[in-house]
Amino acid sequence: MAEVRLRTLSIVAWIGLLIGAVAFTASGLGQTNGSVLDWFVPVLVWATAITVVSIITVPAPSGSRLSLGIGAAVAASILTTDHATLGAAICLALAATGVVERNLSTTLNRTDGDFLTDGVGMATYAMAYLVVYQALSERHTLDPSWTVVVGVAVAGTLWFVVRALVAAFVGLERSDLAGRYLWLLALEDWAVVVSIFAAGTLFGLTWPLMGAWALAVAILPYAFGHLAFERYHSTRVTYGQTIRALAQIPEVAGLAPSGHSTRTADLAVAIAQEMGLHPNQVVELEYAALMHDVGRITLNEPAIVKAGYTDEDIARWGSQIIAEAPYLEHVSSLVAQQHRPYRSPGVEMDPDVPIASKIIKVASAYDDARTAMGLSPIESLERIHQGYAYEYDPHIGSSLRRVLVFRGEITF
Amino acid sequence: MFQDELTRQEREKKRIAVIFAALGASVLGVLFFVQSFPQPFWLWAVFALAFVFFEWNAVEVNEKLFASPSIMVMMTAAVAFGPESAVLGTATMAAMAILTPADVRERRWFQPSVNFGQLVTSAAVSIGLLAFLMARIGGSVDPWTVSTSTVGLIALAAGLAAVVDGIVNLSLVSFIVRRVYGGGMNAWSHMVQLVVPYVGMGFLGGLLGATYLLVGPASLPLIAIVFFTGYMAFESYAGLREAQLSTLAGFIKALEAKDLYTRGHTERVAYFSNMIGQHLGFNGTQLERLRWAALIHDVGKLAVPREVIRKKSRLTESEYEEMQGHVHHVEDLLSEVEFLRPMVEIASNHHAHFDGNGYHGSSGDSGHTPSLEARILAVADSFDAMTSTRSYRVALSQEYAFAELRRFAGTQFDPEIVEAFVEVLTASGEQYGSPVEISEDEARRRAEHGFGDISNTARMKYDPSTQRADRRPSESEEPEARRG
Repeated sequence: MAEVRLRTLSIVAWIGLLIGAVAFTASGLGQTNGSVLDWFVPVLVWATAITVVSIITVPAPSGSRLSLGIGAAVAASILTTDHATLGAAICLALAATGVVERNLSTTLNRTDGDFLTDGVGMATYAMAYLVVYQALSERHTLDPSWTVVVGVAVAGTLWFVVRALVAAFVGLERSDLAGRYLWLLALEDWAVVVSIFAAGTLFGLTWPLMGAWALAVAILPYAFGHLAFERYHSTRVTYGQTIRALAQIPEVAGLAPSGHSTRTADLAVAIAQEMGLHPNQVVELEYAALMHDVGRITLNEPAIVKAGYTDEDIARWGSQIIAEAPYLEHVSSLVAQQHRPYRSPGVEMDPDVPIASKIIKVASAYDDARTAMGLSPIESLERIHQGYAYEYDPHIGSSLRRVLVFRGEITF
Repeated sequence: MFQDELTRQEREKKRIAVIFAALGASVLGVLFFVQSFPQPFWLWAVFALAFVFFEWNAVEVNEKLFASPSIMVMMTAAVAFGPESAVLGTATMAAMAILTPADVRERRWFQPSVNFGQLVTSAAVSIGLLAFLMARIGGSVDPWTVSTSTVGLIALAAGLAAVVDGIVNLSLVSFIVRRVYGGGMNAWSHMVQLVVPYVGMGFLGGLLGATYLLVGPASLPLIAIVFFTGYMAFESYAGLREAQLSTLAGFIKALEAKDLYTRGHTERVAYFSNMIGQHLGFNGTQLERLRWAALIHDVGKLAVPREVIRKKSRLTESEYEEMQGHVHHVEDLLSEVEFLRPMVEIASNHHAHFDGNGYHGSSGDSGHTPSLEARILAVADSFDAMTSTRSYRVALSQEYAFAELRRFAGTQFDPEIVEAFVEVLTASGEQYGSPVEISEDEARRRAEHGFGDISNTARMKYDPSTQRADRRPSESEEPEARRG
């Protein structure tokens, strides 16, 4: 449903870009005194450059891949002399990028949502830059280089905000995520973004002065950061894999139901995203949920099983094991509190129980009901409802309901 | 005798420190006469800050390459300062970087004073060369002008100057090491590794300096942003990598600690494997892979019921199967983790024998010799098993374990690795296992009579969180090539 709507929007945007390209060309040709070819060559050159650079992407902390096309667009905005050239070049480049991405969508790993986000962003940037640059240069307060830098900084900030908004909108179209979560997620990317903008500006400023060397000035320093962002991303992926693998030790040992930790984590993450938790909180929650049953490895000891144990023991043992790993102290404390009820008699809401722990409690109980007890989704949800008195936070229960409705597991 | 050597070293250190401090001071003194200080002052301050920052914080690009952009900052600054103040400006910048926070904390005097001399001298020599070359490039009329046609030459000159800086720096350092500690280091093999990064960094520095001359101060925030974000990204990458290793190690340690009999086993095996690997001349990457493999080699055992592991009597057929299954559990658990895949392969073959018998993982070919790393792991694993107390017998002595390893060398173990291990462990002077000779039968009998005293197991030496130390520059007083 949402996918279809995004596709329709993309096609409309694509047609709009073509119309824009024609309109800018007409206006540009009306103003120019030279030949058609003289006006059109820079447009084509810039359109090609932006399209080619757009294909290169860098993994941003938010998990999405950012296209470097905006860097080329920044250079184009500095180096083109009139609005019509820039407008036509950007419209053509975006339209061409759309076609390329459509045909290589699997290799480039880009979606209609990315196309819309980047398109709206780049158009906003170009317009904002032209306005700011014009206003600044009419006043002659700054020397030309600083005028460019300030123009890019202002327009780039606007681009960043607009892009985050569009990304949040597109994300909402796509799934059951909270707008707040998506907005925060898009803001995580600022370091990558700032670096791309600075490289594009450097190229724009140095190209007229040092020719082809400008490429080296813009690309070489940026390449270090690019490499680092790539490495960071791949390490983050394998870190997640490592934790996932370690979390399965009790399951392989037959001390916890198979697949329980993975399913609990998936559900807990969905609930947290639906509730709009901060992306960093969601990552910690995911780790904690994956490892919430790791204390069960202690049940390997027959003497302990004979002596009997409670949920609190499992939580404590688990958190002790996790606490041995540096950098996971917070995850350890989340695991330690996963058994705690959200309120006690006479206390409306216990403020000391972290929301992540409460989410794990609900997600784990729901999965137990579904798999260990073999109940249907609606019956399992009812068990959560029955626990609203003390066990399960009603806010999380209703978030769980919305997630289940979105997933089509229950109809409402 | 040893004491004499120490006092000689102390005397020599004092002499060298005085010589180098005087050298640095006189170079700076001369420069103050022949050059003027860079104008405006904030430009010098910005570059000096960046230079000191990168001197203190080298970026680890990979195991082999610690890139420090400080040499690049120096070249950018030299070009930006102009002919009148390039040498003095950069030499004073270099002088700013001699005191590190660690030096102040530990009240070191030797390293800062020699670094003062060698950093100032190498900066003066290399930037002097750069100034000379730039005068040639620009021609006699206006020596420091930059145009499209000269940008490339300036960058090349800066690359050359950077290499010269490195050569002077390393020669002085190796001179100090030779004088104070005797013997010495092979400066030239170091330099060969550093030539490419130095040329690259210097080249880029020259380009950025030319950019500053052409564009003006507006280029500085842009350059700073690109480098700062790149630096931050490398920092978070390095931090995450560190976190990953310590998470895995800490987690395994904690799980293992649930069982008194295997407590510390993994860490000791990693320690022994690392010892053997170093003795066999493994490089950083190979050692790291070996350590990871050792850390995970018994993860599968955590999934084997405790009764089976603890059993005092002989295992039944099905229990034996279950016990050997831990090799497969490792594969089931960790093969999903991409970067661990080669290590899982090693770990899953640690029960495979040198002659091709034994228990192979799914990647190992029955009847074939397992990989070198798996063979190392087998020796380290068996040694620790013999020298620690198990449920069915108390710890055996180190000599007994050596004899056992030798007895099965050629069949179960690789003879070369066994000899290497015996040699390196004997040389280390460390002692594991029972302090008194004890036969295996006696060890089993004692365990049956309840003498399985767990506190008697081997001492811990290995700390995975500090295992990176061997790649870091040492914190000793030994002067090291800065900006490496």
